Amino acid sequence: MKPAPHIYALTNSSLLLDASHLDATDRLSIQKKIWALTSHCKSTDEFTDLVPAMNSLTLYLKSDKHLNKWLQVLPTLWSDIKSSTFKGKHHLIKTTYKGEDINYVAHYHNLSTDDVINIHSKAKYHVLFLGFQPGFAYLHGLEGQLHTPRRDEPRTRVPKGSVAIGASQTGIYPADTPGGWHIIGHTDTALFDSTSEQPCLIQPGDTLEFVPLVNKGATHD
Amino acid sequence: MIKVLKSGVLLTIQDFGREGYRHLGVSKAGSLDRYAQIIANRLLNNNDNDAVLEITVGLCELEFSCDTVIALHGADLQATLDGQAIHPGWTYAVKNKQVLSFATGRAGLRAYLAVKHGIRSTEIMGSKSTDLNACFGGIEGRTLTTGDEIPITPYYGKFIKVGAIAPPKRKLIRLHPSPHANLLGEPLLSNFVSTAFKISSNSNRMGVRLEHSKNSLMHSHSLPSLGVSPGSIQLPPNGEPIVLLNDGQTTGGYPLLGTVIEADLHQFAQFRPLDNIEFKYVTFEEAAKAKQKLDGHLHQLSLALKNNL
Repeated sequence: MKPAPHIYALTNSSLLLDASHLDATDRLSIQKKIWALTSHCKSTDEFTDLVPAMNSLTLYLKSDKHLNKWLQVLPTLWSDIKSSTFKGKHHLIKTTYKGEDINYVAHYHNLSTDDVINIHSKAKYHVLFLGFQPGFAYLHGLEGQLHTPRRDEPRTRVPKGSVAIGASQTGIYPADTPGGWHIIGHTDTALFDSTSEQPCLIQPGDTLEFVPLVNKGATHD
Repeated sequence: MIKVLKSGVLLTIQDFGREGYRHLGVSKAGSLDRYAQIIANRLLNNNDNDAVLEITVGLCELEFSCDTVIALHGADLQATLDGQAIHPGWTYAVKNKQVLSFATGRAGLRAYLAVKHGIRSTEIMGSKSTDLNACFGGIEGRTLTTGDEIPITPYYGKFIKVGAIAPPKRKLIRLHPSPHANLLGEPLLSNFVSTAFKISSNSNRMGVRLEHSKNSLMHSHSLPSLGVSPGSIQLPPNGEPIVLLNDGQTTGGYPLLGTVIEADLHQFAQFRPLDNIEFKYVTFEEAAKAKQKLDGHLHQLSLALKNNL
C-alpha cells in the first residue's frame, strides 16, 4: 500500500491535506502533486481559497454542504493525480548582485563574490508556496554551498526588491520589512502590486532564475 | 465626506475583507466583529458588506461635512453627537458640521460605525478593507489620521429610528478539534481545555495572545509551514497560544490547538487585555447549530426591520 496523506476537517468549511510526513527527502516531488491537486480543485469552483504550503494544501470551501464529499474524494484524487498535469510559468529576475551582505556570504563560505553570483544565478528555483507577506515566495533549489545561517541581528528594514539568503533558503522581499536574511542583491522586478489586475507576479509552482546585471544603468532593455 | 479631527488609537476602514488571494500571502483583513458590521449595516438598510469604520478603544472625533444617517454597533465607547449621547444598536440622523466624539468604554474594545450607503473609498483586490501590514486598501493602507477625509454619499431621505440587540457574549469559546492532536498528545490538550487564559495586552488585529500561569503547554515541536486562517489557534513552543485574527499570516509552522468555530470568532474583536476566557472542543454538528442560531438572530432582526419600514 502506498503511504497516504493525512486529511482533516479543520472547520465545517475547510480541510487540510497534509503530505509532509510522506518523504522528507523528496519534498519537491510531493510539492508537484500538491500543485496539480490545487489546480484540479480550483477548476471545480467550489473553493474560496486554496492554500498550498510545505507539502500540504488547505482548502477553504464556499459552502459547508460540500465538506463530506471532499473528505471522501481527496484520498482518491491524491493517489490518481499526476504531477505532470501542472505547468507553472518561468520568470527571469534581473538582479544586481551588490547586496550589503554579499561579501559576508562569500567570506563565510571561502568563496569569491563572483563564485557566489555564479552559484546563485546558475540554479533553477521552484516556487514552493507563498506566505509571510503578499508576494513572498518560498523557493526550492538553493545550492548547499550557499546555505548561510541567518544574521545574528535581524535588520529592522530590508528594502523592497532585496534578494537574500537565510539558512537553506533564498528569496526576494516584495516590500520593505524587517528581516534576518543576508542581502546579496537587488531587483527592480515588482513582485506585488495591489492595484494590478494580477497583483502577484509569481504563483505557487512557477519557476525562476536570477539573471545577473553586470552594470546597473548600462543596459538598455 | 467625514473629516477626521482626532483618530484615537486605531481607526480603519473595513468590510468583510479579501477572499481568493490567500495562496499569494494576502491576509483577509476586514472587520474583526463581523456581526457588529452586519447589524450596523442592516439598521440602515445597507448591504451587509458595505464598508464601515472600525474604531478601536475610542478617543476619536469625526466631523460630518454632509447630512447622513448613521448606526453604531459593537462596543459601547460612550459616543456623543454634538454632546448628545449616541447608543450602539440605534440609528441617528446626522447634519452637516455635526461632530461625533468617542470617549472610551468599560466593556468591549471595538465599535463599528456604518453610514447610509457605506463608505465610498476605493476597492482594492475585491475589498475596501485596510491591510495594515501590506499597506494597501482603505486610505493609503494605513490607520486614519487627523485631516483625512473619508468619502461618503450625502443622504437627505427619511429614516426610521430603530434598534437592535447584540448576540450574547461568551467566555467559553468553542473549538474544532486539532489536526495535531497526535503530535501534541492527550495530556497537553486536556491541560489546554482546563486552563483559564488571560487576554494579553500584546494582542492586535493579527492575533490575540493568551497568557496563563502554568507551564503545562510548552513543547518543542516544529512543523513544515501549513495554511492558517482567522480562528486558527497556534501553539508556539513557549506554550502561550495565539488565536489568529483577520490580519494574520496565511501560513505558519506552529502546531495548531484547533480552530475557533465561526459563530464564536467575532467575540475576539471585543476581548480586552486581562479578560478571562476558556476553551471547549465541540463537534461539527454543534458548530453548525451555533452558526444557525446566530444567523437566526440576524434573520429575526431583518424581519423586524422589514415590518418597521
